[in-house]
Amino acid sequence: MLNIIKLTTYVGLILLQLILVMKAEVGFYQQTSALLFIWFAVIFAVTQLLNELTRISEAMTQQAKWVKPLIPALFAFCLLLIWESIIKGFAVSPVLLPTPSDILFAVFNNIPTLWADFQQTYLKAVLAGFFLGSLSGFIVAQWAVKSVFLRNGLLPLGNFMSAIPIVGIAPIMVMWFGFDWQSKAAVIVVMTFFPMFINTLAGLQSVDAIHRDLMHTYAAKKSQIFLKSQLPQSLPFVFNALKLNSTLALIGAIVAEFFGTPIVGMGFRISTEVGRMNMDMVWATIVVAAIAGSLSYGALALLEKSLLFWHPSIRSGNKR
Amino acid sequence: MSKTLISIATGITLFASSFTASAAEKLNLQLKWVTQAQFAGYYVALEKGFYKAQGIDLNIKPGGPDIAPAQVLAGGGADVIVDWMPSALATREKGLPLVNIGQIYDKSGMMLTCLKSSGISSPADFKGKTLGVWFFGNEYPFLSWMSKLNYPTTGGKDGVTVLKQGFNVDPIFQGQADCVSTMTYNEYGQVLDGGLSNDELVLFKYEEEGVATLEDGLYVLEKNLKDPKKVATYAKFLKATIQGWEWAAKNPKEAAMIVLEYDDTGAQTEHHQIRMMTEVAKLLSNSGEGIGYLDPAAYERTVKVLLDSDSAPVITKKPEGAYSHIVFDKMKEL
Repeated sequence: MLNIIKLTTYVGLILLQLILVMKAEVGFYQQTSALLFIWFAVIFAVTQLLNELTRISEAMTQQAKWVKPLIPALFAFCLLLIWESIIKGFAVSPVLLPTPSDILFAVFNNIPTLWADFQQTYLKAVLAGFFLGSLSGFIVAQWAVKSVFLRNGLLPLGNFMSAIPIVGIAPIMVMWFGFDWQSKAAVIVVMTFFPMFINTLAGLQSVDAIHRDLMHTYAAKKSQIFLKSQLPQSLPFVFNALKLNSTLALIGAIVAEFFGTPIVGMGFRISTEVGRMNMDMVWATIVVAAIAGSLSYGALALLEKSLLFWHPSIRSGNKR
Repeated sequence: MSKTLISIATGITLFASSFTASAAEKLNLQLKWVTQAQFAGYYVALEKGFYKAQGIDLNIKPGGPDIAPAQVLAGGGADVIVDWMPSALATREKGLPLVNIGQIYDKSGMMLTCLKSSGISSPADFKGKTLGVWFFGNEYPFLSWMSKLNYPTTGGKDGVTVLKQGFNVDPIFQGQADCVSTMTYNEYGQVLDGGLSNDELVLFKYEEEGVATLEDGLYVLEKNLKDPKKVATYAKFLKATIQGWEWAAKNPKEAAMIVLEYDDTGAQTEHHQIRMMTEVAKLLSNSGEGIGYLDPAAYERTVKVLLDSDSAPVITKKPEGAYSHIVFDKMKEL
């Protein structure tokens, strides 16, 4: 009984802050700084609520499953509330930082533009560059595993290539491949080739001595050894590189777009809207990019789980 | 949290009081672009001691790609900024109340440089062509012009394809665009240096097309104009600035050399800067009141150009209080 009262008070305090932020006129902290004291109560309420939720989720009951996602959601909501309160309360200029509600409106009001940008950057440049770069890294690693000459030659060269800053190669690629998505894909290929190469090489070389001997006793052909022993064992490393590359690809495409694009694309949108002082649109594009990045990482993680069911990290460790 | 606020507030009060107590008043000027003869007047005035004579200790901050002067002003990194009017009016509408206190250029140096070989001889030939345009606040005059000519900027046979041009003229040399945006005093020279000659090029000056907007002007935050001490400081700054520009216009070669001295990057060349200074001198306002006076008729023309672009409105309503002669009038009393 007491529990329910406590919980209701906590939720009530959070709602109080929310209503204050939505209804009060801009600059309310500058006018009545006493309102800041509400934050002590709100933070106390949030911490207690989070503790309660954590306790419930660890209890291993039926409800636990539904409660688990609430914890990060509540935490994120609290952070957004702090953000909104500071901006509205201290009348921070929207030209410096917009409020989360402005950003949300910007996302919903500009879906056609954001979708067109997403198509140009992600569906064209990122996907093409990601596949091309990863595939080329994978293939070259196969050759390198068989040839010591290639291995010793390519490793330092690949190291050098991956250290070149994007802001250096991007204008050159735009000059070579034109303004459209091809130059962005080229930048991504340069960025993703080396991580894939290094990881595949490490993976192909990581086969246990026991496995090698086993294959030898089965009189397996070279191709059979490759397909049944080396390739599956290199997959954990390959997925490592793929997950890394998915992040690099998105970053590469957006930054490369700063240097010359047709007038559509996420990087173009960010740099243009900064110039027009539409910071809410900039943040809306950032939100889209974050969602795209998380979804691709998540998709790769799911694929990894299904293909690597035998690997210890998937089998035992990550049950929670 | 409140304790931190009180200490920050105390700090700011102490800092502000020290500001008025010091002998030379410190002022931060944020330029719109990198150190070059486009801003010669300020550097000349600094070098020749015009600011010092007025009791101003000026710190000039060069701009560059991805530096938006209005954001620097909003963040407190500058007291006065050099900006172009379309971008300033758009920023004002977005919620940052900046006000024009002086207009340095009253003619626009912007133009579209096209290859004769692409078949363009008049704006009617733009249909179906690829045009390079600068963004980051510089696209407004172009968008107004396209709207006036009724060309959609999304490409296709009846419209124009727009490329976001970097701050260089590569697209015209790489065959990626039929036209590039250039300033008479900067990129046009780069095109000539790059190997194309005058006969291979066709120029469209925004002034002659009737879509020119006011360029380099000085802007401050509106709330500072309510403080008479600040207005006096700005007036002294404006006086020294105008003296600097008048000297630079009469002595272009020496002004270019002064700019080169202040160029920390070492990227500018003598030949380029002297050419730039000579071209810039042609753009300085020489209306009745001289350099620095914002002619209300010119202001209205710029506002009209911006309001007329119905496809991509730069501003949606007539700005109120976007310029003020209070500093110019105060300066005349000095």
